[in-house]
Amino acid sequence: MQIEIRHIHKRFGSIQANDDISIVFPAGRIVGILGENGAGKSTLMKILSGFQTPDEGEIWIDGQAENYRGPQAAIALGIGMLQQDPLDVPAMTVMDNFTYGAPGAFWLGHSHLREQIQSTSAKIGFDLSPDQMVNQLSIAQRQQLEIVRLLALGVRTLILDEPTTGISSDQKEQLFHTLMELAREEGMTILLVSHKLEDVITLCDEVIVLRAGKLVGQREMPTTKSELVHLMFGQQLTEERRNERDIAQSNIVLQLDDFTVETQRLSVEPITLSLHEGEVVGLAGLDGSGQQPFMRACTGLMKGAGGRLRLDGEDMLGRGYGEFRRAGVAFGAAGRLEEGLIAGLTLIEHVALSQASDHWMGVLDWQKAGAEMQTRISRYDIRGAGEDMIEALSGGNQQRLLISLLPEQPRLLVIEQPTRGLDVDSVRAIWGQLLARSEQGAAILFSSSDLDELVTYSDRILVFFEGRTHLIEDPSQTTVSDLGHAIGGAFDSVQGEHVRA
Amino acid sequence: MNHTPRSLGLRLVFLVLPLLVALFVSAVILLLLNQEPGEVLRQAWRGAFGNERRIASVLNYWIPLSFAAMGLVITFRAGLWNIGIEGQMIMGAVFATYIPLYVPLPPILTISLSLVLAATGGAIWAVLVGVLRNRFGVHEIFGGVALNAIAAGISLYLVRGPWALVGNNNQTPVFPRETWLPTISDRFGVSQLMLILLVIAVLSIIFLMGRSRWGLQLKATGRNRQSALLLGVSVRSVSLSAFILCGALAGIGGAHRVLHTYHYLLPNVAGGIGFLGLLVVMLSGFHAAIVPLVAYFMAALSAGSTRFQTLLRLDPSLIDVLQGILVLTYVLFSGIQDRFFPRIREGNEEMKKEITTNE
Amino acid sequence: MRSQKWFYILMCMMLVAAGAPAVIAQDEYVFGMVLVGPADDRGWSQSHFEGGQYVEANMSNARMLVFESLNPADAPETTLADVVELFVEEGAQIIFTTSDAFEEDTVAVAEQHPDIIFVNISGDDVLTGEAPENVGNFMTQGEWPRAIAGCAAALSTNTGKLGYIGPLINSETRRLAASTYLGAKHCWEHERGNDAADLTFEVTWIGFWFAIPGVTLDPTEEANSFFDRGFDVVMSGIDTTEAIVVAGQRAAEGETVFSMAYTSLQGCDQAPDTCIGIPYYNWGVAYLDHVSRAAAGEWEQDWDWIGPDFDDPTNIDTSVTWFQRGDGLSEEVSMQLDAFIEEMKAFAADEMNADGIFLWQGPLNLQDGTVLAAEGENVSLNDIWYLSQLVEGMIGVSE
Repeated sequence: MQIEIRHIHKRFGSIQANDDISIVFPAGRIVGILGENGAGKSTLMKILSGFQTPDEGEIWIDGQAENYRGPQAAIALGIGMLQQDPLDVPAMTVMDNFTYGAPGAFWLGHSHLREQIQSTSAKIGFDLSPDQMVNQLSIAQRQQLEIVRLLALGVRTLILDEPTTGISSDQKEQLFHTLMELAREEGMTILLVSHKLEDVITLCDEVIVLRAGKLVGQREMPTTKSELVHLMFGQQLTEERRNERDIAQSNIVLQLDDFTVETQRLSVEPITLSLHEGEVVGLAGLDGSGQQPFMRACTGLMKGAGGRLRLDGEDMLGRGYGEFRRAGVAFGAAGRLEEGLIAGLTLIEHVALSQASDHWMGVLDWQKAGAEMQTRISRYDIRGAGEDMIEALSGGNQQRLLISLLPEQPRLLVIEQPTRGLDVDSVRAIWGQLLARSEQGAAILFSSSDLDELVTYSDRILVFFEGRTHLIEDPSQTTVSDLGHAIGGAFDSVQGEHVRA
Repeated sequence: MNHTPRSLGLRLVFLVLPLLVALFVSAVILLLLNQEPGEVLRQAWRGAFGNERRIASVLNYWIPLSFAAMGLVITFRAGLWNIGIEGQMIMGAVFATYIPLYVPLPPILTISLSLVLAATGGAIWAVLVGVLRNRFGVHEIFGGVALNAIAAGISLYLVRGPWALVGNNNQTPVFPRETWLPTISDRFGVSQLMLILLVIAVLSIIFLMGRSRWGLQLKATGRNRQSALLLGVSVRSVSLSAFILCGALAGIGGAHRVLHTYHYLLPNVAGGIGFLGLLVVMLSGFHAAIVPLVAYFMAALSAGSTRFQTLLRLDPSLIDVLQGILVLTYVLFSGIQDRFFPRIREGNEEMKKEITTNE
Repeated sequence: MRSQKWFYILMCMMLVAAGAPAVIAQDEYVFGMVLVGPADDRGWSQSHFEGGQYVEANMSNARMLVFESLNPADAPETTLADVVELFVEEGAQIIFTTSDAFEEDTVAVAEQHPDIIFVNISGDDVLTGEAPENVGNFMTQGEWPRAIAGCAAALSTNTGKLGYIGPLINSETRRLAASTYLGAKHCWEHERGNDAADLTFEVTWIGFWFAIPGVTLDPTEEANSFFDRGFDVVMSGIDTTEAIVVAGQRAAEGETVFSMAYTSLQGCDQAPDTCIGIPYYNWGVAYLDHVSRAAAGEWEQDWDWIGPDFDDPTNIDTSVTWFQRGDGLSEEVSMQLDAFIEEMKAFAADEMNADGIFLWQGPLNLQDGTVLAAEGENVSLNDIWYLSQLVEGMIGVSE
């Protein structure tokens, strides 16, 4: 089955997620879809699998234009997608899970389905028992279940979104083996969305690369990692370097000694780091490498697992977010509407809420809050009115509002993905505000998947890979492509040292 | 909040249409039961508004229902399902019983102390739900259900045991006459004190919700706990304060049951009024100002329907069916409203999803 | 506002629907019946409801008004005062409040309606002098059939162990349980010739008239526990029939066990083969008496503890309570039971009759050893009514 995409456009508010993408996926091939976070990969795959409809453009399947809506319609045409988090119903058996999505399954004899599960699993080397409870399956087995289910539904094109997250390397090997067989022997088309360059190099016949919603490259495999990194992150010249300042002389705001963080999936190796007034430290790394829990532990939202954490000399390990906040720490989360802003509240309500000066028993002065909002709207260039609901704002404006709600003179700002998905104007405006605070003595810790942003704005960069860390003391000596290698685990490709005690 | 004329019209349509549909469905059911809907309506009307005693009887049910429902407005605003309201009313009634029974005081002291104790009792029971949630991660629905059962057990134990009326373990002794709440008149047996307290409660809650910083913090916590925390709201204290206030109001509602309705404590004194309060608040669309009106409607419906079984020989549970139909049609219509007249533009919704899936 | 417009339209519709008040036929005599539970509960409330129906059937101009399930859980919006007001408005002249849960409220409401007659069943306000003149009390002497039931149980048991599931503890429930025990003890000793010490009679109080999950004990569990511990007769003193059902299940598994129902003539229906019988109430007789006296203007306040019609105890037109034999009663036991009943009747006919027996006769001690009646002495009706403890020989708590 051959899929051809012609001039696909998709816009979310101010974000152009897919910008005139045209591409052909021939039958029997495994194609890797690469791109940094927010590049538009997921959107494109969701359009293909029917979860979303394009604003413009056409999809041709085996030479015929198809206009379909919804994943069921896509599956009927032979396109199935394996979600990042397998969409199953945990409190059911494999059998039930298999049954509910099968067309007409209500009337089928169970023995028929039972055979189908067993034969399909056996054919592709999976070990699934129909009577197992789904919530007792490992992530890898859930994937297998989902693949078997899609195959049984007659899918000819299989889309996988980050399938190797959370599974062991043995399981990964088996998955890859299966995928290759499906492509070689059954002539299926496999589309693989991944951050992990190794995976793509091992598995794919071909890669395409998206950046900022555009198709920027297409390569036959094999090719080198550096070539891929180059394609993914480009080589834009950094526009501004920060003024050289003598940071080492200023006071230490955040002092970490053998500081460790643990989550269920990952433990971050001990980190020793001093963050000075006015310093900006960028955190680099693929999603899930440990930077996210590390940042949360630095703000008291998560408890640090061990070591010492001192803020302006005071031991803060084990204390809660409220105390960190009172000590001058502010946190900006990546998911704006999940963490940070509140859907259903107006802009003014957000401002009124964030003004800590008023006592909680106090009566709200809407006029004052309105006036305050007005000054922030002009100062932060927020496009929206005070009475607007927050969700009516574009992503860039939401982010500007979020920044405007941060305290004016914080000691430490911890910000996840401050400019993700934003246009160039918004990025500049936001960094303008952040740097202004840093000039006034705030220390900044930020994470980004945009390597340019990291190199441009960081005084130092802390690279995370699978819980290990590496500190780049002088980003100006580091190229974007070297940094790209480093976040893939090749710490040797950049100067610096392990931040270990 | 700004509503365009179109959306205001829509809101009214969605307020009235379900009522008409519910009336129609109820009429069909009554016809199937060989009852004449007009006669049933007539009896309901007479039962609720026939004379001043009936109106008083409706008000006497409306007052505790409104206290409970106004309390629930607060917890709902904070995103909390205070199922434990029933137990909070029971504890309010229990606490309000002690002084009239055992401590001889001047009536004015008895009544005011009883009300303070009732509010305290309800609040304590609510705080337990909050603490279970905050400290031990027990969801407030489960905590509430458990505490309801315990409250029911405590009241039953007291009525059967230490506080029992000699020779009759269905109730405590009747309170001395002078400790009963004074009423407007003999025929209009409604406590003016309770009416005034209720009006104060309603007005202050409307004010607190709309104008106080605390009200805004409640709303923020209810909409998005994590974001509210990050914006500097102390979400635990805010939730706890919502529980306390709700419990105190429920406790006063429970006190009304013993100090005025029965003049003694008996098992099941709250009689499901707390649960009905949950329905009232949902039917009011969580708007504090509408709650007393909907509560009055429900009270009138209940009181009006008490005559059905005697005069029309209808099964007493039929009224629950009719109330259920009303609730279902409202839920159905709000579903229709969300489906076909979404308040948020689709693009934003999708954007929200996109951001989430990129996590 | 448009919502107001709709509101007015709705109001108008309702006002048009409202019309003239109910018309009361000239010769009708209306009485009210307030029930604490549903009229079809197979127990207490149903027996009263049927009593009311009996009045309607036997007094041509009588009409009954009924209010079911008046309790705060089922009808939180209504109080006894509301119901009485409705009844009075519809023309009721005598109102029966059929639970001691209404005892206090009946007195309060009667003061508000001095022209209406109120009769509270099983209350004692007339006896204690608290009742205004328009309030009466009556209760039937369920103690007699209870004693017969106890006798039937003692005659049927193979293990000599009798279990009794009681509701809550008060003087009424204590005297009913004690009567059952006295009947059992008498027949165990005198009909079967056994030693009283070999008879086990144990009472478990579940805490209320029916099971409330989490609040009362579970009667099903209690019945099973009795059978598990070697008891082979379990008697129900509560409104519901769990003991009968459990006995039926046990018998189906091959065990030889029996049960005893209570209150309603339908009590055995769920497992008739193992059910020895039912001490039942037949309120209609008493109700007809009260209503006809009231209609004739001859009603006077009294506190009446009505015994069965010993001349014809099963006659539904004359006897307010008796024992109905169940399928679980063997022929032989049934004949022995006849003899016991004759002795009881003989006493009732003439207290001095040497062949008669009265179970509440000394020597009789309370559970803590206090003398209730000395040798040869009869316990007074007042002491039975206000029985303060279980009697000696019974196992189970008194308070």
